[in-house]
Amino acid sequence: MARNRTYNRRNSLLVVSIIIMAAVLLTVRLGYLMIFKSEDYAARAQALHERERAIKAERGSIYDRNGVEIATNKPVCTISVIHSQITDPERVIEVLSKELGLTEERVRKRVEKISSIERVKSNVDKEIADKIREYDLDGVMVDEDYKRYYPYGSLASKVIGFTGSDNQGIIGLEVKYDQFLKGIDGTILTLTTAYGLEIENAAEDRIEPQAGNDLHISLDVNIQEYAQQVAKKVREAKNANNVKLIVMNPQNGEIYAIVNEPEFNLNDPYTLIDEIAAEYEGETLTSEKMNQLLNGMWRNACISDTYDPGSAFKIVTATAALEEKVVKYTDTFFCPGYKKVEDRIIRCHKAGGHGSQTFVDGIKNSCNPVFMEIGARVGVDKMYTYYNLLGLFDKTGVDLPGEANSIMHKPENVGAVELATMSFGQSFQITPLQLLVAGSAIVNGGTLVTPHLGVEIRTADESVVRALDYKTTSGVISKETSEQMKELLEAVVSDGTGKRAYLPGFRVGGKTATSEKLPRRSGKYISSFIGFAPANDPQLIALVLIDEPTGIYYGGTIAAPVISELFDNILPYMGIEENYTETEKEQFNVGSFVVPDFVGKTKSEVKDILKIYEFGETYPLGEGDTVMEQFPLPGEIVEKESDLILYYN
Amino acid sequence: MNRTAGETNKKKLHSYYDYSLLFLILFMVCFGLVMIYSTSSYNAQRIYDDATHFLQRQALFGGAGILIMLFVSKIDYRIYVTNLPVIRLKPITILYILCIFLQIYVLIFGEVIKGAKRWISLGPLGNFQPSELTKIAVIIFTAYIVNIAPRKLDKFRGFLRVVLFIVPLLGLILIENFSTALVIGVIMVSICFVASKKKAYYIISGLLFGAIGAIFIFFVSYRSERITVWLNVETEEKGYQILQGLYAIGSGGIFGKGLGESMQKLGFIPESHNDMIFSVICEELGLFGAFALILLFILMIWRIFIIAINAPDLLGGLIATGVLAHIAIQVLLNIAVVTNTIPSTGIPLPFISYGGSSVMVILFEMGIVLSISNQIKGER
Repeated sequence: MARNRTYNRRNSLLVVSIIIMAAVLLTVRLGYLMIFKSEDYAARAQALHERERAIKAERGSIYDRNGVEIATNKPVCTISVIHSQITDPERVIEVLSKELGLTEERVRKRVEKISSIERVKSNVDKEIADKIREYDLDGVMVDEDYKRYYPYGSLASKVIGFTGSDNQGIIGLEVKYDQFLKGIDGTILTLTTAYGLEIENAAEDRIEPQAGNDLHISLDVNIQEYAQQVAKKVREAKNANNVKLIVMNPQNGEIYAIVNEPEFNLNDPYTLIDEIAAEYEGETLTSEKMNQLLNGMWRNACISDTYDPGSAFKIVTATAALEEKVVKYTDTFFCPGYKKVEDRIIRCHKAGGHGSQTFVDGIKNSCNPVFMEIGARVGVDKMYTYYNLLGLFDKTGVDLPGEANSIMHKPENVGAVELATMSFGQSFQITPLQLLVAGSAIVNGGTLVTPHLGVEIRTADESVVRALDYKTTSGVISKETSEQMKELLEAVVSDGTGKRAYLPGFRVGGKTATSEKLPRRSGKYISSFIGFAPANDPQLIALVLIDEPTGIYYGGTIAAPVISELFDNILPYMGIEENYTETEKEQFNVGSFVVPDFVGKTKSEVKDILKIYEFGETYPLGEGDTVMEQFPLPGEIVEKESDLILYYN
Repeated sequence: MNRTAGETNKKKLHSYYDYSLLFLILFMVCFGLVMIYSTSSYNAQRIYDDATHFLQRQALFGGAGILIMLFVSKIDYRIYVTNLPVIRLKPITILYILCIFLQIYVLIFGEVIKGAKRWISLGPLGNFQPSELTKIAVIIFTAYIVNIAPRKLDKFRGFLRVVLFIVPLLGLILIENFSTALVIGVIMVSICFVASKKKAYYIISGLLFGAIGAIFIFFVSYRSERITVWLNVETEEKGYQILQGLYAIGSGGIFGKGLGESMQKLGFIPESHNDMIFSVICEELGLFGAFALILLFILMIWRIFIIAINAPDLLGGLIATGVLAHIAIQVLLNIAVVTNTIPSTGIPLPFISYGGSSVMVILFEMGIVLSISNQIKGER
């Protein structure tokens, strides 16, 4: 066998030297990568590993004027299973199907699916989630989240609005004040594997979310509820399409209630309300149609829809005429049932006419020819000046999305006929809110207010972030004219077409209207009434619109009682005391007396005593003959016509 | 030194055994197992629901390999080139024929894994890669051929004679596996280089190899694509694996993230326990760890070098040189690939990368080297 020679050894050394040189070069290369390129590569690797996960900021709540929560957040939970961590799948399936009310196969499918994480159910109530958590099952994950929640359900639904899945406002105040309410989402930077799985126990970079601010609004839950109640009642009674009702403080524009009956459930905004669903029963709706219907359902018609204001607009005409001093209370007019303007015969609502009457009577009767006459006296230019002063050419600026503007003739197109029809509120369109704002200016001494809901933005700890203020323009009409108008409109209610709005003990002013919907002669009407109280110092102004009532459609007959019923409820609530005039006391039997003692009296004795006192209904309870107890108690001072309850032995 | 002299001396000078090399080998295998567990546990958990899946398999092969190594180290290496008693054939001839047979077999019936036909399925034992076995065959066979007539190598024709014997093995591998063919080529050339007295024709043959390599690189489509990827590793889609490796190496920095703390092994580097394992070592142990590992490899090579130059005969020296070249070229190519110093090619890191055939073959070779050390006469 050959020997291992010296040159073989030298060659080996050469080979090893080459190897070592190569190794040194590679080490240098490594050093370059791991020292000089380290930062760059490390940063890029980090970017690859990090996932940004948003932490939802809690959305601010909405409170009414008394601090009642009307939009808030409810903690809800999402239940998920992590396949690889489940140790006892049968138990997991059993517990989850029982607690979540799901079928066993459905849960089984989720549990047995090989995936990193599988959602079983979201929007689970916290109580149920807590219960599931208590089972302490391996591989079952309970995640907490917030869900927007409206404690009052359908209360002022179209005003408050609701939010979408990304915590963003969709309609109403939720949209308008979104920037204040939504807060700032936080983030968690987590490390994940290439398959997107989070690495447990890895250090997390966390930016805390910033909760949204609370919105305090002028709406009053109680007034809104009353208003919704009366609106619903009249809508059902008159089988009307819808009923709109706005209640506002005429002095500063704070809105107390906006009703668009029928309302929808804010906690379930994507389900059509029965009223709409009934029309399409049995039909399968395309998603396009469904969207259209939902948008219709969510529409706040009080600010988004325009209508011919009709006779209620006569208050504007009368104001212009008084302001221009082209008419006095005592001016007399003659109504033959129509008025001829140029070549047109324009009829009064009363066939045969009102005959001879003063200006005051003209308003009380809501006589069209009277207003055509005074409108003509004011003239187009002056009339348009007052429209403008009363804000009828501009959006009101209410803090709600989707407000519409009025549709008016151009002044150069207004001839005598147009002026005549406009004088009693026809041939143009305004929104209900615009009329209410104009009405407010007329009765509050001439201040044009901006109607609004938002009052203050506050942080969760009640400190005020921003007090919202709104533009007011005073002196759009003179105080005298305002005083005169209040007087005239009170007369309409006490002794005119609006007398069904009369409320004993309170001074109510107002104006009725019956507007025929376009196209004319379709037999479709909007009955409305604008009312305010107390007439001498208005604290409330309200406008009700009944859309397409069936049967009797006169505003004075059906809309005025709505306002009187509303005022009857909310004026005392507002702390405005009844103040009966002498004639009212007599007429409506107002007064009080001291309750006598019935205890121990027999049935016949009671009968005699009841003849003297002016109780309302008497409710005897029990079988016996002697009174054991009574309510009200003896000695109490009660109103006349109060009820009496007697407990016999 | 003639044969009889060797045999008479054998009995009294038997005691030498390179324990430092043995220690280095055992350390490397254990370190490899640690790194395989570190790199593969995530994927093993994800795919097999058992974090130790790859570790167990590698430990099995590593353990078996060590036993084989110890056994082989006690066999005189000269037996491979001696005629067996009954069948009158040398073991190396049998191995040579077996390798050719297996290489042909794998080309026809082989398992296709990731688009390459390189494996023979062995059922529960996994897949066997005959090209690994071929490496042993080439080392011993080249040494054997050269040893028959070492002086012939002084001429170019002598070198060609060696090439002629090796070409059947090399060619069969080159069809499917460029990188292994490259390793085998380097082993062969190294042995010839060490054996030859004249160097001039190596320059010529080097140029020749270069030309053939260039043809392969630029005219075989998928290899020229590798060049493009190599040059634009950050933008090319196919550079993903290498780029991820670079991220790992870079984010390791000087001291590393700590053992087990690699992020890139969590699915970002595909099969990080295979060829790319060095990048994770860099990420977890930093420049220091990587440097220490390279140093260990150099130490190991140095030990083999010492054995090679002290080998009792040329055959032993050449075999040791072949093993040395084998380990060195794999380490250098692997590190060069993961650091994107050369175009990507699939070469495992000896002792460390996951792979049963690879680790067993390496340990078998180390057994032969230890056996050579065992034959060194203790003059020192």
